[in-house]
Amino acid sequence: MKRRRKLNSGAKMGFLFALPAAIYMLVFIGYPMIQNLILSLKNVDVYTFAQPANQKFVGFQNYIELFTNKNSILSKAIINTLIFTVGSIFFQFIIGFGLALLFNKKFPGCSFFRGVTMISWLLPVTVAGLLFKFMFASSGGIINQFLMALGIFNKPLDWLLQPRSAMVAIIVANIWIGIPFNMMLLITGLTTIPADVYESCNLDGANKVQTLFMITIPMIKPAIMSVLTLGFVYTFKVFDLVWVMTKGGPINSTELVSTYAYRLSFEEFQFSKGAAAANVLFLILLVVGIFYIKLINEEEEIM
Amino acid sequence: MNIKKVLSAGLVAAAMCAMTVGSASAAEKKEVVIWDYFETDAQKAMMESLIEGFNASQDEFTASHVYVPFADYEKQLTLGIASGEVPDIVILDGCDMASFIQLGLFGDVSDAEINWDEYIAGPLESTMMDGKHYGIPFATNCTALYYNKDMFDAAGIAYPDENTTWDDFREMAKALTKDGVYGFGNAATNTDEGTFQCLQWIYTAGGSYLDIESGVDAYKLMQEMIEEGSWTKECVNWTQSDVNNNFMAGNIAMQQNGPWQIPGIEANAPDLNYGVTVLPKKDAESGQATSILGGENMGVVNKDDMSGAKAFLQYYDQTDVMVEAMKQYGSYPPKTEAAKDSYWTDDPIQKAFLTQIETSIPRGPSASWPSYSAAIQTGFQEVMTSAKTPEQAAADTQAAVEAVE
Repeated sequence: MKRRRKLNSGAKMGFLFALPAAIYMLVFIGYPMIQNLILSLKNVDVYTFAQPANQKFVGFQNYIELFTNKNSILSKAIINTLIFTVGSIFFQFIIGFGLALLFNKKFPGCSFFRGVTMISWLLPVTVAGLLFKFMFASSGGIINQFLMALGIFNKPLDWLLQPRSAMVAIIVANIWIGIPFNMMLLITGLTTIPADVYESCNLDGANKVQTLFMITIPMIKPAIMSVLTLGFVYTFKVFDLVWVMTKGGPINSTELVSTYAYRLSFEEFQFSKGAAAANVLFLILLVVGIFYIKLINEEEEIM
Repeated sequence: MNIKKVLSAGLVAAAMCAMTVGSASAAEKKEVVIWDYFETDAQKAMMESLIEGFNASQDEFTASHVYVPFADYEKQLTLGIASGEVPDIVILDGCDMASFIQLGLFGDVSDAEINWDEYIAGPLESTMMDGKHYGIPFATNCTALYYNKDMFDAAGIAYPDENTTWDDFREMAKALTKDGVYGFGNAATNTDEGTFQCLQWIYTAGGSYLDIESGVDAYKLMQEMIEEGSWTKECVNWTQSDVNNNFMAGNIAMQQNGPWQIPGIEANAPDLNYGVTVLPKKDAESGQATSILGGENMGVVNKDDMSGAKAFLQYYDQTDVMVEAMKQYGSYPPKTEAAKDSYWTDDPIQKAFLTQIETSIPRGPSASWPSYSAAIQTGFQEVMTSAKTPEQAAADTQAAVEAVE
């Protein structure tokens, strides 16, 4: 009897502690999400915004139109976002991992250089976007100057003016911004590997490459999976960098789902369609999120 | 304890004083808050003196203005409608007015004592919907052709004038393109700024914003000139300020731009030897080129008490007030008579803009203008980056324009 009562009060305390977080989530995340969902199922645009009587539920019509209407570029935006995300993460991760391995070794000035690498993460994204916009400028941009001085190009390339190279430019900018995030999480993972594991594999005569693939990578797999999924979520919803550098142009070639949703809502006043586009973005990220939570739970069970 | 009591009593007294002072002044004068997106020093000085003049002219209202960055303007207004935190008057781009009337931001001020019939028809229409007035035009302007006289002299070519045709223009631009200088540049960025500057070429070619295919010759001219290098391809990313900066720096010999750039040129490049004329016409038989009307409107926000906003509109409606403000601002008053001030008619550059305004047309007006503008802008970008042939781009843009609801 006594024991059961104790558990009960403990459970009560638990709920009590969780309450502020739960209320916060409901008010600041749950409510806007539900509002956004309702908005996406209505026909609110410039003509019906001021007349609530004319705002009707239209079911999934906004979603259907976003995928089928001739003027809608949602499918293109999703593909662009995928290219942007995969391109960014692939290089961010490899470079971040390389730097993590480097800074995990102790050498003079190590912590100083590790600190310096963080600058790109600390810089406001809009500032970084502006810097890269100047660097990629056709005439006078440092990247063209550099490539021409090296003799790789013989005339300036219009980085931000051609559809394909504009995509390359925003990916390069985003890689630069995201490297420290990958590096720090991976360094944290590397510090959890006990030194005696390395000692014993040294004794067994494993070379550097074997150590990397047989010991290091398997031991920090949880950290790697976290970096990749979190990186995917962060990159998939990037807005400010692209808005500053290209505004989605030229010819919508760098239009991402986030910038398209913004454009629909605040430039074309198609509020319901904008909400629907934002929900498509949310749905994609929800799938990734569920995958991530499942992964974390599995890891916890193993541990 | 005693000290605390004294302190708190003092604080309460101070707070009460502050409250009485606040309420007393509020009872005397009502506030009129104006939003604008004016960035240049000349524009800010114009707003300050306009507000000072209004505040001194009567003692019922106190006007003040708030700067909101242009890039955030539409978003802030939309959020303002949703949250109710809106000013009394909004100064905004004429082509956005129809959307915001439809969105319910503006109130009917047809009963204000304004001399409606003195205004130029195009700008006035953009402040109206279904026969009701929601504000008055604030400034009007259009783009015309700026040319660098020194570069023309050095190349030994005659300056462009009202007889210059597209073929002449193309030859000029070609001859001036050398040593890192482009013959011509304009703004073709993927916002309404790009539509504002590029659309006139479609009209001059015989099309309209609903009939792109009839203006396909404009697409051809643009693509051919960009391919031969005489029309800079960087304009795809240029705003109107970028174009003017490059004109001042001597990177382009001719630019398409508006009169609001003149104060900036006088301040930053006082030695620049330039002239302005109307935009080139299609061929010798056709009339003067069409330009697109720009400029701002003053919209009155829909509130129970719009008396302050109406008073400000009536103050601005006085021709001499309007003329003074527009001299500082670098645009033209939206009244036919007011624009005949000798300040403009005696200056050859200002006169060129006034001549160009005569054949200028407004954008829309349509509450869906932003959607039209986005579709039209995409077409120009496709042409200028040679992503599509002129014919293909015209057909696709036509379909896109027709798909706008």
